Amino acid sequence: MSDASGTASAPTLIKLERVGKTYFRGKEPIEVLKDLDLEMPQGAFEALMGPSGSGKSTLLNLIAGLDSASSGRITVSGEDLGKMGEGKRAHWRSQNVGFIFQTYNLLPVLTAVENVELPLLLTSVPSKERKSRALTALRAVGLEDRATHRPDQLSGGQQQRVAIARAIVTDPKIIVADEPTGDLDRASADQILDLLVKLNKELNKTIVMVTHDPAAAERATIVRRLDKGQLT
Amino acid sequence: MNLATIALKNTRRNLFRTILTVAGVAVAMLAFLLLRTVLSAWLIGVEYSAKDRLATRHKVTMIMTLPKRYVDDVKNLQGVQGVTYMNWFGGKLPGKEDQFFATMAVDPKSFLEVYDEVSVPEEQKAKWLDDRRGALVGSTLAKQFGWKVGDRVILEGSIFPGQWEYTIDGIYTASRKSLDQSSFYFHWDYLNESLPAAQQEQVGWIASKVPDAGQAANVAKRIDALFDPRDIQTLSMSERAMNTSFLGMMSTLLNALQIVSVVILLIMMLILGNTIAMGVRERTHEYGVLRAIGFLPKHLSWFVIGEATVLGLLGGALGVGIGIPLINQGVGRFIEENFGGFFPYFRVAQGDVVVAIVLSIMLAVVAAVVPAYQATKLRVVDALRKLG
Repeated sequence: MSDASGTASAPTLIKLERVGKTYFRGKEPIEVLKDLDLEMPQGAFEALMGPSGSGKSTLLNLIAGLDSASSGRITVSGEDLGKMGEGKRAHWRSQNVGFIFQTYNLLPVLTAVENVELPLLLTSVPSKERKSRALTALRAVGLEDRATHRPDQLSGGQQQRVAIARAIVTDPKIIVADEPTGDLDRASADQILDLLVKLNKELNKTIVMVTHDPAAAERATIVRRLDKGQLT
Repeated sequence: MNLATIALKNTRRNLFRTILTVAGVAVAMLAFLLLRTVLSAWLIGVEYSAKDRLATRHKVTMIMTLPKRYVDDVKNLQGVQGVTYMNWFGGKLPGKEDQFFATMAVDPKSFLEVYDEVSVPEEQKAKWLDDRRGALVGSTLAKQFGWKVGDRVILEGSIFPGQWEYTIDGIYTASRKSLDQSSFYFHWDYLNESLPAAQQEQVGWIASKVPDAGQAANVAKRIDALFDPRDIQTLSMSERAMNTSFLGMMSTLLNALQIVSVVILLIMMLILGNTIAMGVRERTHEYGVLRAIGFLPKHLSWFVIGEATVLGLLGGALGVGIGIPLINQGVGRFIEENFGGFFPYFRVAQGDVVVAIVLSIMLAVVAAVVPAYQATKLRVVDALRKLG
């Protein structure tokens, strides 16, 4: 898939310059990413594809500020993630990144609305306002009527929509999605992808999605392929 | 919703495990409370013993008696307000020899003056004072044997052989905890008149009351000094000192009980620590998610410690909730009725309840420290890789 015309002239939101990531298995170094240069424009919907072990999830973790690069520089909106300490990066994530995981990762003891409210606990938003915003986010994903249901009372597709509501409730610039349709049937997966497209187009969210699913990648505006730690 | 409500809700995650943990803490706290009550009951004799009462006995041993004329000498001493005397009788109920209770021959009138915590209805008191074969029994003892006023009782004497017949003239209660309610008092004259001439006019010990408890030690010295030049010397001490010296002999047992109560608390802490550590291990992936969305390591430690606090508080409250009625209405009553001589008052002390609750929370927090620390040390990407 080629560049979407809508984002071609948009300013760069995420910039990677000669980024490398090396893990150590005992004393043996394993180079997962090698001198990666990459620019992602604001408002893009990017899909990262590639075989297992190609470095997709590692790249996603670096962009989301979950991990730090071994070499090179990562900037998001001009902020250098490598210069942030652990605490500052956690705060940055809470303000700028929404996460969607393959296995939804909702807290089983909380209701849908409480799960969505969770990231807002880290803000100074008052309790009533928090709940109101969480309900608005649930409405955006079409699950307002399931607000008081716990995850085990929801289908897989519904749980992922709650996870999306949790990802957008703080109004982040970036949404990172790691195999968001990996655990869903086709119909549910399509609903989730529709929702991501809607978030990208209507709310101008920049979405970076790791996927193995070609149908999911088709919905993205940019598709990048990784192999052995390098973009191909 | 806030962090505290999440910690509270987390306890419902594995309800069966939570119930077992809370029950474990509750049982530990119940055992702790029971042991504390045993200790308190033991110490209560000292704590509540009259500070203004002295006991004077033979200097050599309590088994040896004093001449009755010493009573008047003590009475006439400056600083002494009232004097009474008594003999340990050692009576037993035929057929129920294994059921111990204190039996003492006392001078009724002076006994009721010096032991003014004895509370007995006026008509019963009057009857007992007039009846040389009358007995005044404690309410706990009366309940134990089903005795009522007017009942005839025969005791077998172990120190003074023979069968001794009494009429229950009164049943007393104690207005203070310094006197147990399971003793059997009867007229000293009845005993004295029944003895051979050589054994008459002898008393086991003299109890004297002083107006100022602060002067008790000085008065005790003066009493002993008075009898020093005589053939039979005395040893006087306050009732509290007498009980304390008795407790000194039991110190090994009391220390053992203290150690057992500490061991119980340690076991409780290990149970809680294990449960919390299991929870942290199981939720590693979830903690990774929380860290990803911006929660800091300190937030995770709050979750862990908050959950432990809830478990500790629930367990402590349940243990105390079960313990108070169980001890006060069940075990305590049984002990008071059957071992009233040793434990006249076997009830849960308010201070022990507070200690139990505070300790259950404090130990829960301590038990959660290591798992909480482990949770804070998780790397986000490693935690996310772990399967939930």
